[in-house]
Amino acid sequence: MTHLTLNSLRKAYDGKEVLHGIDAEIENGQFVVIVGPSGCGKSTLLRMIAGLEDITSGMFMIDGELMNDVEPADRGCAMVFQNYALYPHMTVRRNMDYPLKIAGLSKEERRRRVDEAAAILGLEPYLDRRPAHLSGGQRQRVAMGRAIVREPSVFLFDEPLSNLDAKLRVQMRIEIKKLHRRLKATSIFVTHDQVEAMTLADLLIVMNGGRIEQIGTPSVVYHEPASMFVAGFLGSPAMNLLPAEIRDGQLRLTGMPASPLAEVAAGIAEGPVTVGIRPEAILLSGNQSEGLPVTIDLVEELGGSRIAYCALADTALAVVLPTDGRGQEGREVRLLLPAEALHIFETASGVRRDYTLAPVSPATEVRNAAGLRDMVIPV
Amino acid sequence: MTTDALALPRRARRASSASGWLKGFDLAGGHVVMALLSLFCLFPVYWMIVTSLRPANKVFERSLWPTAASLDNYTYALNAIPIGQMLVNTLIVAAIVTVVQLITGLLAAYAFARWRFPFDKLVHVLIALTWLVPLQVVMIPNYLLIANAGLLDSLTALILPHFASALAVLMLLQAMRSFPNEVLEAARMDGAGSWRVLWEVVTPNLRGTIASLAILIFISTWNEYFWPLLLTRTPEHSVIQIGIQMFMTSEGTQWGPLMAASTLASLPIFILYIVLQQQVVSSFMKSGIR
Repeated sequence: MTHLTLNSLRKAYDGKEVLHGIDAEIENGQFVVIVGPSGCGKSTLLRMIAGLEDITSGMFMIDGELMNDVEPADRGCAMVFQNYALYPHMTVRRNMDYPLKIAGLSKEERRRRVDEAAAILGLEPYLDRRPAHLSGGQRQRVAMGRAIVREPSVFLFDEPLSNLDAKLRVQMRIEIKKLHRRLKATSIFVTHDQVEAMTLADLLIVMNGGRIEQIGTPSVVYHEPASMFVAGFLGSPAMNLLPAEIRDGQLRLTGMPASPLAEVAAGIAEGPVTVGIRPEAILLSGNQSEGLPVTIDLVEELGGSRIAYCALADTALAVVLPTDGRGQEGREVRLLLPAEALHIFETASGVRRDYTLAPVSPATEVRNAAGLRDMVIPV
Repeated sequence: MTTDALALPRRARRASSASGWLKGFDLAGGHVVMALLSLFCLFPVYWMIVTSLRPANKVFERSLWPTAASLDNYTYALNAIPIGQMLVNTLIVAAIVTVVQLITGLLAAYAFARWRFPFDKLVHVLIALTWLVPLQVVMIPNYLLIANAGLLDSLTALILPHFASALAVLMLLQAMRSFPNEVLEAARMDGAGSWRVLWEVVTPNLRGTIASLAILIFISTWNEYFWPLLLTRTPEHSVIQIGIQMFMTSEGTQWGPLMAASTLASLPIFILYIVLQQQVVSSFMKSGIR
């Protein structure tokens, strides 16, 4: 059992705080991905877990045992670095063998573990080569091999795929996932790549500005982003975030003709909000008289899908187009924003608000002035 | 239109051939200059060897090749002073100074590269400043220290003041600073302590710098003249540079044996140059010394 507890972890350099109290519980065998933009503190947090950075305040525990002042090698963690960090003067075998030699294991045991790890990672033909004579992918495997042989209770990965080309990155990603399934060791993986984050994680920790924005499964984080930052960070293209307001029990886009997107439950405070909607949730209206009229500025053909960028007031709206060829550059189309696909965020704080939304009722249509019919979301 | 289209490449071709010719001329000119400079540098060495082969009565002969070559000067020099013993002494001094300076340099550079400690920058600057202090400034205090310790006329006296050098510390520090920090951290994660990291991870990866530095220290110690001149009293405890000086007496200079002794003194350095040519050149490039 390896259970990690991060309790109000803070890190300051020269009195300037960069991590502002990190709380998380990581269960045994979980694959946790810490994701966030550059400078958000994710690598610092990982290095604090590894013991390579001092913890300014707070507690870090492994299985209930305080680890704050325990040496990195005694924490039971193995780390895979971004630049592989292999010993340049040692062969692949000696690289993998080195931590075991330091630990004082017998020669037979060392050989057995290295051979086993090499077999798992397909490194047998390269055992006598030096890192300089290996490709990036092979080096990364050696780095993982060096971690595996120690049989650690926690694997730490610090952006290990960012130096690889796109194709190799996908391949290694799959290998890491398979390896985790096989070894079932608790793993913490730091990345700024949202695809890596979504595909690898059992549990996703989204960080921004030295704080955790959201912790959850990839599905929850994607479908119920806790903040505007998470909504905008995950997903490609990112979630569309549009200024809106709640007025007279209705949700309307700001600056648009009176166009209720949905009806909100009674008792909800009126005022400005931000509406989010994923590009793939937006529908093209088949009816020229209903939906939000926009002009398509640009279409990106991705083979399997097409993404349109439409001008809407001051913002650009990304829409995943149907593959049937509808929606061409320069054309005016009408978009439907289904009420069930809308996310509401407080504009000032960016925090998610789980308001109950309902499609605009036909009665609303009648209540509205003539011409607003086009903007009404059909039931 | 067609003419223009044809003319343009022709003009371009002519221009390119002209620039190629110029490049060739540049290259040849460069080689001529380098050859002349090499001759300029090599001539004294050649003259030393040639003079060492001339008989005593023809030492001042101006011919490029000795008219009557003989090894008499070598025989005389070998009998006049204990050259063998002096060469061994010089070798011992140069080897020990090289090894010790490398060790102290590695330890000091590792401390500067790895840890922050109170006044570390000040200490670093002070070490760098010692490089600027000429031998003449520390000569008297060092002499007194050695004399008080009763070490005059001993090899220990020649070695002791050279136990550490700013050049070694600064060159190794530079190399260590460019060593990837992640590798050091990986070693730390693997359970290696600071001592083990230095000897098993850092040092093997600084082989190039260490080899270059070793050559520089060895050559400069081998060529050391002034400090041994102050301290040594007997030829048996002396180094080869002092031995050479013994042929310059108040009665006059014995040029033939002096050149023979100089040739013998240069032999180990020649061999070092020939065997480690590449390293020697790169070491001079690295240290910025020509």
